[in-house]
Amino acid sequence: MSSIRRILTAVVLAGLVGGVLWWNWAGGAGGDPSAVRVRFWNGFTGPDGRTMLRLIQRFNQENADAHVLMQRMDWATYYNKLFVAGLGGRAPEVFVIHVANLPRFHRAGFIRPVDDLLAGRHPFDPNVLDASCWRAVEFGGRHLGVPLDVHPQGLYYNRRLFREAGLVDESGRARPPTTRGEFLDAARRLTRDLDGDGRPDQWGFAFTHVSNNFHTLMPQFGGDFFDAGAGRCTLDDPRNVEALRFGVELIHTHRVAPNPEDVEAWIGFRQGKVAMVFDGVYMLQALLRQKDLDFAGAPVPRIGRRPGTLADSHTLCLYRGLDGRRLEAAWRLVRFLSDHSLEWAGGGQVPVRPRLRGTPEFAAMPVQSQFARQVPYLNYPPRVPFLFEFRSEFGLAVERALRGRAPAAESLAAATKNVQRVIERDREIFGRPAEAGP
Amino acid sequence: MSPRSRIGRWSGWLFVAPYLVLFGAFILLPVFFGLGLSLFRWEMLSPLAPKLVGAANYREALSDEYFWKAMRATGLFVVMAVPLTVLLAMSIALGLASLDRRRALYRAAYFLPVMINISVAGILWRWFFNSEFGLFNAYLAKVGLKVPWLTDPAVAMPSVVLMSLWWHVGGPVVILLAGLKQVPETYYEAAAIDGAGPWRQFVHVTLPLLKPVLLFVVVMNVIGSFQVFGQTFIMTRGGPELSTRVLVQYIYESAFNFYRMGYSAAMSWLLFVVIAAFAAVQFFLLRER
Repeated sequence: MSSIRRILTAVVLAGLVGGVLWWNWAGGAGGDPSAVRVRFWNGFTGPDGRTMLRLIQRFNQENADAHVLMQRMDWATYYNKLFVAGLGGRAPEVFVIHVANLPRFHRAGFIRPVDDLLAGRHPFDPNVLDASCWRAVEFGGRHLGVPLDVHPQGLYYNRRLFREAGLVDESGRARPPTTRGEFLDAARRLTRDLDGDGRPDQWGFAFTHVSNNFHTLMPQFGGDFFDAGAGRCTLDDPRNVEALRFGVELIHTHRVAPNPEDVEAWIGFRQGKVAMVFDGVYMLQALLRQKDLDFAGAPVPRIGRRPGTLADSHTLCLYRGLDGRRLEAAWRLVRFLSDHSLEWAGGGQVPVRPRLRGTPEFAAMPVQSQFARQVPYLNYPPRVPFLFEFRSEFGLAVERALRGRAPAAESLAAATKNVQRVIERDREIFGRPAEAGP
Repeated sequence: MSPRSRIGRWSGWLFVAPYLVLFGAFILLPVFFGLGLSLFRWEMLSPLAPKLVGAANYREALSDEYFWKAMRATGLFVVMAVPLTVLLAMSIALGLASLDRRRALYRAAYFLPVMINISVAGILWRWFFNSEFGLFNAYLAKVGLKVPWLTDPAVAMPSVVLMSLWWHVGGPVVILLAGLKQVPETYYEAAAIDGAGPWRQFVHVTLPLLKPVLLFVVVMNVIGSFQVFGQTFIMTRGGPELSTRVLVQYIYESAFNFYRMGYSAAMSWLLFVVIAAFAAVQFFLLRER
C-alpha cells in the first residue's frame, strides 16, 4: 500500500516539474526576454473572451518585439480590481472600459488620452470610426481611448408568435414593428390568454431591465437626464414623465406587458411566453445556443418623437505614465484590435467602423446587422462619475411607477431630488463640476 | 522552572499560533483599519487624498434615509428568520432524535442544502419563485393562486426568509441534535418515574440542559442573519423597490459601486455595534444562573 502511494506521489511530482519546465520552454512564461511586456485586462469572460484571445495570439505572432499578456475577469470584479490597481500605480498598460465608466476613471486620473498618438509613428485616422462613437470618448477636448465596438439595445422578437398573430409581410415573414402604432398593435395581438382562465399567459412585450429599457425610451421622447454641465438633474422633465407614463400604460391600461419581472422577463422571452423585449446585442449568444427559439432582431421601434436607443462601447484605454517602447507597443495593440474589429464582431458586437459594417461578412450576421442600423442615433449613458447612484435612483423611480405605487411624475420628482443631493455632495467634495477631468 | 514546564506554558500559544496569525492578519487588522477608515472621508473616485473628518461619516449614515431603509430590511429579516430557524431546527432535531433507524440519512438530507453554494441556491430559488413561470406558482395555479414571490415589496422579504430556512436550517439541526444526545437518558427515566409527560420532560429536562447549545445557536443565527447578503443579492438584488436591500448590500454598494470607502466603513461599524449589542443582550438573558 505505502509503496503504491510512494510511486504515485513520485509520478505526480515528476509530472508537475515536467509541466513547469515544458511551459517555460514553450514560451508560456514570457517568450523573447527582450520583448516589451504589455498587460491587457478586460472583462470578456464569455465566448467573446475566446475571440479576443485568438486576436491576442495573432498579435503576439505578428509582433515579435512585444508580448501581450491578457487577463480576463468578470466585469464587476474586473472594475474593482482595475480601479484599485490604478490607484496603486499598478494598472495594466492597456485595459477596456465601458464609455459609461469613463467619467469615473477619468476623474480618478489614470487614463492617458490618445490624441497625440493619432498622428505619431503608428498613425490612426479616427475618421474611420463612427463619429458618434468617437465623440462618446471625448472629454474636455481629449479622447480617452479608442472605441472597439458598440453594443446597442435593440428589439428581439419571436418570429413564430408573430406569424401566429398574422404579423407578417407580403411574403409571409414575421414583420417587426417600427412605429408606436405598429408596436402597440403588435403587442395587443400578441398578448393572448391561451388557457382561457381570463389571464394572459402570452405577453406582447415585457420590460427586461427596467433601467436600460427606459434609458432607451426616454431620449426618444426628447428628455435629458442632466443639464449641459451635469450640475442639475433633469430626470423630472415632462418628456421623461411622458415616456414613463407610456410604460405604465403598457402594463396597466393596454395590459400588453406583465408587471416588471427584471431578468425573468428574459426567461419568458426564451420560453416563448413573451413576444418582444428590448435588450442588448450581448444577449445574442445565449439565444443562438437555443435551437428551439425562432427569433430575430430589429431596431427599437420609434415610440417617442425620434428614434433612439441606449448603447455603450468597450473602449481601449492606455494607462497614464506610459512612455518609450511600452507606450509604443501598447498603442500598437490598440490599433491592431481596432483594425480587426470585424473578427471581434463575430463574438456578438457591432464594429464602430461603417466600412466594416458594409462588408458581406457583417451583413451575414442577422441580429448584429439589424441592431447596427441604429448607430446614427445612439444614446450613451449620462457622462457623470456618479452613474451608479444615478442608475440606482433611476431604476427605483421607474420600478415604483411601473408597479403603480406612485404616479410617474411623482416618482421621477423624488428621484430627481435624491440625484440632486448626490450632485451637491459631489460638488462639495471635488469643488468643481462633474464633467471636468482632473 | 524546569524546561518541561516552560514548554508547557508556551505550548498552548504554539498550538493557536497558526490560527492567531491568520486571525490577526485577516480579521483583527482589517477591523481596526476599518475603524480608522470610518473617520476619514475617502472617495476613491477622487484624486484628492483621504481627509480626517471625525464622526461626519457616522452623522451622515444616521441621517441617510437609505441607511435606515436598509437597517429596517435587515431587522425584518432577523425578526422573521431567527425565531423560525430556531423553532424549525428544534422541531427537526427532536424528530430526528426520536428516530431509531436511518437517522444519519435524514440528518444528511437536512444538512445537504447547507453545503450548496449560495449562488447556486439563490439562482435555483429565483426560478422557483418566478411569478409568471416559476415552479411554485405553477402548482399554486392549479388552485387558482398566484403569489408575487419576489416582485411585491411586501412579499419579497418573507420569500427570502423561506429560502433561507431551507438553505441553512440544517446547521442548527446538527448542533441541536448533538446537544440532545448529550442529555443523559437517566434524567428522562427519572422524570418519567415522577410522572412527567413528554411536554414536561421537554420543558423541565431537555430545555434547561440544552440551554448552552441553544444559546450558541441563537447567537450565531442572530449574527449571521444581521449579515444576510447572498440570498437577497442573488435573488432580488435588493429589489423590488429596495425592500430587500439589506445593510450589508448597501455597504457593499457604497464601497464598491460608489467607491465611498470611509462612509462604508462607518456603516459597517454601526452594523457591528448593533450585532454586538444584540449578542450581549442574549448572553445576559440566557446566562447560567
